[in-house]
Amino acid sequence: MNKLTIFGICIVGFFIIIAIFAPIFAPYNPGQIDIENILTAPTSSHIFGTDSLGRDLFSRMVYGTRISLMVGFIAVGIASLIGIALGAIAGYYGNWVDGIIMRFIDIMLCFPTFFLILAVIALLEPSIINIMMIIGATSWMGMARLMRAEILSLKERDFIYAERAIGASDFRIITRHLIPNAMAPVLVSITLGIAGAILVESSLSFLGIGVQPPTPSWGNILSEGKAVMGAGWWMMLFPGMAIFITVLGYNLLGEGIRERLLKS
Amino acid sequence: MNKYSNSTSAAFKKAAFLWYGISKTEIPTTKNRLKSYRKAIFLVTILFLLGFTPNYGDTIVTGSIGEPRTLVPILASDSSSGTICSLIFNGLVKYDKDLNLTGDLAEKWEVSQDGLDITFYLRKGVLWHDGAPFTSKDVEFTYKSLIDPNVRTPYGGDFQMVKSLKVIDDYTLKVFYKEPFSPGLASWGMNIMPAHLLEKEDLNATKFARNPIGTGPYKFKLWKTGERVELVSNHDYFEGRPCIDGYIYRVIPDTATLFLELRAQAVDYTSLTPIQYRRQTETEFFKKNFQRFNFPSFGYTYMGYNLKDPKFKNVDVRRAINYAVNKEEIIKGVLLGLGRISTGPFIPESWAYNKDVLPLEYDPGKAKELLKNAGWSDSDGDGILEKDGIKFSFTVITNQGNDERKMTLEIIQRRLREVGIEVKIKIIEWSAFVSEFIDKRRFEAVLLGWGLSLDPDMYDIWHSSKTREGEFNFIGYSNKEVDRLLLEGRRTFNQEERKRIYHRIHEILYEDEPCLFLFVPDALPVLHNRFKGVEVAPSGIGYNFIKWFVPRSEQRYTR
Repeated sequence: MNKLTIFGICIVGFFIIIAIFAPIFAPYNPGQIDIENILTAPTSSHIFGTDSLGRDLFSRMVYGTRISLMVGFIAVGIASLIGIALGAIAGYYGNWVDGIIMRFIDIMLCFPTFFLILAVIALLEPSIINIMMIIGATSWMGMARLMRAEILSLKERDFIYAERAIGASDFRIITRHLIPNAMAPVLVSITLGIAGAILVESSLSFLGIGVQPPTPSWGNILSEGKAVMGAGWWMMLFPGMAIFITVLGYNLLGEGIRERLLKS
Repeated sequence: MNKYSNSTSAAFKKAAFLWYGISKTEIPTTKNRLKSYRKAIFLVTILFLLGFTPNYGDTIVTGSIGEPRTLVPILASDSSSGTICSLIFNGLVKYDKDLNLTGDLAEKWEVSQDGLDITFYLRKGVLWHDGAPFTSKDVEFTYKSLIDPNVRTPYGGDFQMVKSLKVIDDYTLKVFYKEPFSPGLASWGMNIMPAHLLEKEDLNATKFARNPIGTGPYKFKLWKTGERVELVSNHDYFEGRPCIDGYIYRVIPDTATLFLELRAQAVDYTSLTPIQYRRQTETEFFKKNFQRFNFPSFGYTYMGYNLKDPKFKNVDVRRAINYAVNKEEIIKGVLLGLGRISTGPFIPESWAYNKDVLPLEYDPGKAKELLKNAGWSDSDGDGILEKDGIKFSFTVITNQGNDERKMTLEIIQRRLREVGIEVKIKIIEWSAFVSEFIDKRRFEAVLLGWGLSLDPDMYDIWHSSKTREGEFNFIGYSNKEVDRLLLEGRRTFNQEERKRIYHRIHEILYEDEPCLFLFVPDALPVLHNRFKGVEVAPSGIGYNFIKWFVPRSEQRYTR
């Protein structure tokens, strides 16, 4: 395996472990307000310093990992459900079904996604669940196309003809045979999609319309850091680094999987 | 006039324009006075040496997080709109720097012995920005618009008290009141609108709102939505041409960006947040390039409940919330000490403020007890109280761009969670916040500030009749005694009597807890050093705005 890929796996694994065991890693309650220690620089008791309400930044970062990764996974989960289902149906049935679904995808791709998300959030309320659903609902198109392309070639293979000959239903053929065989390229897209979703969540929270206070996420810690720029460098440095490293990790992992697929 | 303030320290805008003041907030010491006399003499000498050439020119760039909503002055209910309107328009009277009423568009006036009628003698030769003469017709028109039920103005209350208004000639008019009305004279500080342009217009939807014509020191030039409003000086202004030629009001809906713009000297005048004041402007660079001010603002921040909501119907529940919130902690943590606790609808310096009303001590034990007695208990053990199967959980909304309000809410949220109340926070962009949520009463609780007027009359905010869309009693407060006292307070001229009345209102409001009074923040304006002639007075710093000037050699914007 490529060294970079291993590096990516390490990063991804590291943050997943932090997210799962957040209560163990966090030395303080992330909501513990301490007005005696507002905006203190990193010290031995607060290794990442404190924020503008005296809360321990390291603990908030640790819990923020949970939120950021959760948004990433669930948003992409929703996107892949929609994408795989629609892609498979389009590829398998072809004809007018394919036409309608592909034109719908073309329409969806025309929207500038981020502004679409902004508009939808203005209509609904900003909350973690809404954000995950909206990111998911606006990022499935690439996966649908990949899935469709794979299935177009797979469905002409002999084992599918054999399935048909023994009278398997369309549903069984799609879910048992076509989708599992077409998953590999979609997996790459999913991995990269997680990185994208984390970035979108951070951007929304940075703009103040993502995850609402007091829930910490990397994006809204960064946004709070912006308000005290010049008085608290640690408020911007650490969440910025976390976003950067995580996204890098998922991108490296995605590239690694793609390379392996090309080789095999 | 009362205005929503969209920034805790937005109060500098009120300080900046006279009719916002509430009371003497800073009594100049003899030493200060001597100093200012000396300065004045010094300035006069300099002017003499320069051969009396005033330093005309340059432009002041003001930065604010709020976009104005309308420039029809009688509809302007937010501080951004109010700030700009006060430069474009004039009232009949205004407050001077020591907070005394003085003539503006009215040259002089006479109040009858019984206090029932006022005769205004208007200034002659005043022109609207389009060249038409200003006459008593305009005053009559403004008055008629204010009492027109179809016009959605929050300022009608004061003018409902007028029995009739009689135009005697072009420059004289007489106002008759139904009964003695003590805030009557001050209420004519309301900006006067041009009759010849608006008579046939629907004020709620007129194009004038984005293209106003006034009599004031500055003329409207352009308004780019979400970006800036530009004004140019009115050379024919009746008090003399303003020294600064241009006024740009930039909308930067984020305090951090605003601060960066200030540091880049692209903004000359704005207000600082406490963190910026304490931690970010103590540098040599700031001391060299900017002048900072610090005085109590004319407004307070509060958490208002939607009193129609069954959760808040019980006064004990509201009092429990007061006990559960530590106000000292908020002032120390959020304002970094730059503010004081408020216990009522006046600022502590006002004569109307009842010093015997003491803030409730932080006491979560008492809060829990009150909630328990009110029937709220945690029956399912999740740490949140329930009553009849409904959880005690509510959402507080506040406006985007004001980090102090967000932080205040985070502290409140934490403290209320400790007594078993779940608070959710929702932050909404300012325009939508006012028009979609406040005006339409779509909220459970709201964190907001009131900018106050000099007269303690608060009829528009607390009277039970002022609850229509766009009016100020949006929390839906209703108390018969307060209603009666509010009316009595406006009928009384005797200062001691009024004091007694407003002290009682203060008491009742603190007992009734229609909202949680939190704090009076300090105004922390900051101004570029090249602007001279700025003096702090009881009314703030903006009272002599048209006399501010930039010496020729330091002017930055030339046209």
